[in-house]
Amino acid sequence: MKRYILKRLLYSLLTLWLTSMLIFAIARILPGDPVQGVVMASHMGAVDNNVIEGIRAQFGLNQPLTVQYLIWVKNFISGDWGVSIASGEKVFDMFMKRLPITFELFVCSVLWSMLIGFPCGIISAVKHGDFIDRLLSAGAVLGLSLPVFWEGIILIYLFSVMLHILPPSGFVPFSDSIKGNLLSIAMPTFIMGTQGAGLIARYVRSSLLEVLGQDFIRTAYAKGYSEIEVLLRHALKPALLPVATVAGLTWGYVTAGSFIVEYMFAIPGLGRMGVNAIFSNDFPVIQATLIIVAINILAVNLLVDLQYGYLDPRIRVQS
Amino acid sequence: MKNRTLYLGLIIIAALLVVMAAAPQIAPHDPEAQDLYHVLEGPSEKHLLGTDDVGRDLLSRVITGTRPTLLIGVLSTLFSGIIGVGLGLVAGYKGGAIDMAVMRVTDAFMSLPVLVVTLALVAIFGSGMQSVIIAITLVNWTGFARIVRGEVLHTREFVYVEAARAMGASGLRIIFYHLLPNVMGPIIVTASIAIGGNIMIESAVSFLGLGAQPPLSTWGNELRIGYAYLEVVPLFSIAPGLLITLTVLAFNFIGDGLRDAFDPRISQTFNKSKEK
Repeated sequence: MKRYILKRLLYSLLTLWLTSMLIFAIARILPGDPVQGVVMASHMGAVDNNVIEGIRAQFGLNQPLTVQYLIWVKNFISGDWGVSIASGEKVFDMFMKRLPITFELFVCSVLWSMLIGFPCGIISAVKHGDFIDRLLSAGAVLGLSLPVFWEGIILIYLFSVMLHILPPSGFVPFSDSIKGNLLSIAMPTFIMGTQGAGLIARYVRSSLLEVLGQDFIRTAYAKGYSEIEVLLRHALKPALLPVATVAGLTWGYVTAGSFIVEYMFAIPGLGRMGVNAIFSNDFPVIQATLIIVAINILAVNLLVDLQYGYLDPRIRVQS
Repeated sequence: MKNRTLYLGLIIIAALLVVMAAAPQIAPHDPEAQDLYHVLEGPSEKHLLGTDDVGRDLLSRVITGTRPTLLIGVLSTLFSGIIGVGLGLVAGYKGGAIDMAVMRVTDAFMSLPVLVVTLALVAIFGSGMQSVIIAITLVNWTGFARIVRGEVLHTREFVYVEAARAMGASGLRIIFYHLLPNVMGPIIVTASIAIGGNIMIESAVSFLGLGAQPPLSTWGNELRIGYAYLEVVPLFSIAPGLLITLTVLAFNFIGDGLRDAFDPRISQTFNKSKEK
């Protein structure tokens, strides 16, 4: 197991290293000279070339690209993520301020998607081929095909414009009002969790169907267990194992969805920070956002792999 | 049973293609004709879906929006497919260090959600239809590469590939004449689902105002403008959104249906257990 953990960890770090180079490359192809831009903005007008060169040297921008990359990585690890061009705030502080909000949204969205996805998938598999299976399967594809922004529009129209039950946008911190907080995140989390729910339902269905086709299930039936007993005592556990993989995928959907949803609902989280940075070409923030997203996804994938290896010994041995 | 959804998907896409081809004939009004005396109106006999913020007929605008929307979805899938299939074929066939390198780069790209990178790239290239297509292409080849590589790893072990090699076929010939035709099934399935996904990404980018720019009007653009008037004319944003959803759904139906047709294993294993 130790070997397996080590191997997975190295894999993730290798991928993160490649991703960081990718993001660094994206940074360098941005049009315009960042130093000139910053200096022009602060001095309003013509600037001595020596000044620009001085600043360049100060930030290490006159160094070769490999050195620049290393400086960038070193700064990132030590928490120096640069300063937002738009607000002048430290990017690291901006991140820490928004992290709890986005984290709450993420956790609730994943809970939502599991709460809907698991029962739907199980019912679908058990009633395989029936009308209800067809309905739920089509529902799962629909969930996967619903664009988050459109679902947002429909729900806002329904619950805010017509019924006046939920606020159309805004965020109430948990510490201010628990009820207000839950109401303000109800629609966003539901929307962010929809695609994941569809995904989970589909995985659970096909995974359970595969288990139900195996010999030990037939043996269980032959022993006279009822359908419910077979399901609970024999089929569910092995069927739900591979579903752990979907949790990682769901996290990816939630991450992507958070950008649109936080923007739509004016939630002051990381997704909105990223979208606003893109609107204002706030480069340090865009760069930090990309790295955060990559670390976030890689970490979740690593966790999924680890617990998968922990639960299923075959995987440890194979790799 | 699955075939029914496959046909449903095909019918929807066929209908969209007809609408796209015949847009100028079908559209009841000139999609660019403004009528400032009749802005933001609800559905009426003259304007079946109502009018937009400068009095243009919404139905006509949605109909003409079919073309750029589908075009972006198909072109970005085509380009990313060419890159991904090419890399997947080489990685799977060559194996070893090349395979390792290609797959690690694929992993690196996959650690970033397509929408997020597309947004960042659009910020770099500037907004517009071409930027969106380039951005999606640059990020979205990974799915093709992974699937094709996996299939090739399996296919290249077959005896007929060995036979071809024994007969002195070159690597390129084996890849294009023997491996590629045998991985076409999964490629088509992936492409179908990717078109839907890419349309969704394009719409999201347009929804944020970073996609195709006027006068070009995709459904995502319509939806963004309409969203501002949600309380006055809900159909303004709901109608284009419904079309996006239907299209994505149709491509997913087709992808799923084809996958089941290519790989009937799942239904078979279950029937076995029903014989209990």
